[in-house]
Amino acid sequence: MRRYELMLIIPDTLEEEAAQEVFTWAKDVLAKQGGTLLDEAWWGRRKYAYEINKRDHGFYGVLDFHADTDTVNELERQLKISDNVVRYKTVRPEIRVRSNA
Amino acid sequence: MPPRKDSKAEKDKKPRKPKPCPICSQGIEYVDYKDLSLIKPFLNERAKIKARRTSNACAKCQKQLAAAVKNAREMALIPYTTR
Repeated sequence: MRRYELMLIIPDTLEEEAAQEVFTWAKDVLAKQGGTLLDEAWWGRRKYAYEINKRDHGFYGVLDFHADTDTVNELERQLKISDNVVRYKTVRPEIRVRSNA
Repeated sequence: MPPRKDSKAEKDKKPRKPKPCPICSQGIEYVDYKDLSLIKPFLNERAKIKARRTSNACAKCQKQLAAAVKNAREMALIPYTTR
């Protein structure tokens, strides 16, 4: 298990509630795959630094979690398929986290 | 006209104190790409990453910083370029 951090961008063609649903859906996928959510942040509607798909705003959300490689791969696969996700990025923050073991 | 002293040579004689790395000295271990207030001062007005000699960042921090900037660009948090 490793600590990951995932940021996803949801298009602003959706309403805020619908966008939050997409975010919740991503959390569900994570939970179903056996990841444990540590923290989440909903940034809301934010202006892009440059135009993406002819749009200049999007909804941002960040997930912080513990998961296995397979979990992350599956989550990323689903995000890639989804039309309701513009972009996503998973990083492994290099903070030394002491395991409870 | 008095002979002009070679200012450049004189300058070189002065021992220069290396400026401390602005990231390490703040006690930051990991440069987060989401932390825009941290990253922004290291971009010039064309949104390019400042050179190490300008940013005064140490090798380790500069490397982390560059990676963070690139991540932030991908997520449209900072521009690739302006103008």
